[in-house]
Amino acid sequence: MIKTSLNPDGICIVEPQFERLTAANADSFKTEILALIENGQTRFVINFAGVSMVDSSGIGALVGLLKKVGNRGEIAISALSDNATQIFRITRMDRIFRIFPNSEKAVLSMGV
Amino acid sequence: MINTHPVTAEFNTPMLVKGSDLIQIVVADDDAMQRQFTSAIVRRMGYDPIEVVDGDAALNAIVKTRARILICDINMPGLDGMALTRQIRKMKLLHYIHIVMVTGRDGTDDRRLALEAGVDDFMTKPFDASMMKVRIRAAARLIAHEDALSDQYRILEVAKDRIESDLRAAAQAQRRLLPLGDGNVLTCRFHSAFVPSTIVSGDMFSYFPLDRNRIGFYAVDVAGHGIHAALLSVAIGHLVTSDYFLLHSFDANGKPDPAAMVRGLNERFVRDGCDEYFTMFCGILDQSTDCLTFCQAGYPSPFLVSRTGECEMIGAGGYPVGLFGELDYENGLATLTIGDLLFLYSDGGVEAESLGKEPFGEDRLKAILLQSAVEGADHIPETVIAALSDWRSGVALDDDLTILVLERGNLS
Repeated sequence: MIKTSLNPDGICIVEPQFERLTAANADSFKTEILALIENGQTRFVINFAGVSMVDSSGIGALVGLLKKVGNRGEIAISALSDNATQIFRITRMDRIFRIFPNSEKAVLSMGV
Repeated sequence: MINTHPVTAEFNTPMLVKGSDLIQIVVADDDAMQRQFTSAIVRRMGYDPIEVVDGDAALNAIVKTRARILICDINMPGLDGMALTRQIRKMKLLHYIHIVMVTGRDGTDDRRLALEAGVDDFMTKPFDASMMKVRIRAAARLIAHEDALSDQYRILEVAKDRIESDLRAAAQAQRRLLPLGDGNVLTCRFHSAFVPSTIVSGDMFSYFPLDRNRIGFYAVDVAGHGIHAALLSVAIGHLVTSDYFLLHSFDANGKPDPAAMVRGLNERFVRDGCDEYFTMFCGILDQSTDCLTFCQAGYPSPFLVSRTGECEMIGAGGYPVGLFGELDYENGLATLTIGDLLFLYSDGGVEAESLGKEPFGEDRLKAILLQSAVEGADHIPETVIAALSDWRSGVALDDDLTILVLERGNLS
């Protein structure tokens, strides 16, 4: 359900292979990324290009991942749809997550 | 041609089906010797053979008896083995029929065609008793397995019925937590709709008088839906009463401070290693000053519709409850004068998607709201639900839906 690639700085870029992150798939999405965290991955860019909608269960999954990574790493989010941006704004998740227009900018912000 | 190996007595205990009935096996062959030989083996194995002389009789026996296995010759007058097999596979029978076909020695092509037609196993003529025994045993094993599966399925069905009946009871209990009566509170009137996506809902709302002039109300949407979300929404429904409002949503000077109440709820519901959370909108309306003090905790921004038909969304957002500890929540202010409406809705409304995957969206909701407000606030919930149902082409919503309309009435 996700595609991942590792950049030379060890940042894991996650590309969800679905159009909607909702109650229907939030758990399995979270489980997949948790497996990466278990394997020692700590820095993530989750690129939502191609995802039109993130609902409250999707937000719950992202927050769960953020808590799991904790101080050891970071999660940046890129390319949110208008719809998802709105949900992030209303729930103030735009103050919890660092959000970028695209994955390249997100990666740049993380540096080395 | 039959093989005349003696039929030995070392047969396994026959497998039984449903209760103590023996498995019935239809033996179809126009060759009387062959048929009797097969029947004898079947009987000696402890099963019940039904002998028939052609394909039509075999089909009749399959339909009229409880036979589970068919042993048939490929060549028979009338309906031959292949045609018989196709007929059986076309029929809707209570059980699967295991078909063992008897073919000639060089029947490679026959076998391919027979497999395509739906045959399960083969025997080559001339065959001996031991070859036939292993094939019948294999079919009987599958039947025993099928029966075990269908028993388990029945047990699951019973369990599912029980769970659903429990859920319906839970849904009733949940509905009893919602406000009773005609929705009149002091000079205001509330109109609402509560539509669970499964039997129970992760939504909750309430409204009540707090004193002579002030009304408290809230709406909650637990993330996710189903039983998990419903349990939390019911817990909130029990907790957040008028007494709870009076105790927690006023500051030391008696000024409304719903953000303080939400802060308290957040500390109460935040838990390590748990992503369970809810969004909330709560408000206190003072009808003597027209002042609404509210706290928006991730719940969608409500629409405020003035008596003159102007419409705005209030609230700049806020953190949901239960995700992180020590978050700051803010109070917002709005003026709600006589004739104004406040329209609250859970996100199940705007996120509802059409068959073409397009969300209903705020703009459509606003248009429906303004249109139906003209006909009277009491029509709003049902009109919105009808519009959403049209939008979904009648398909039930994926998420729980709550609509709560506060209609500000006249002081006199």
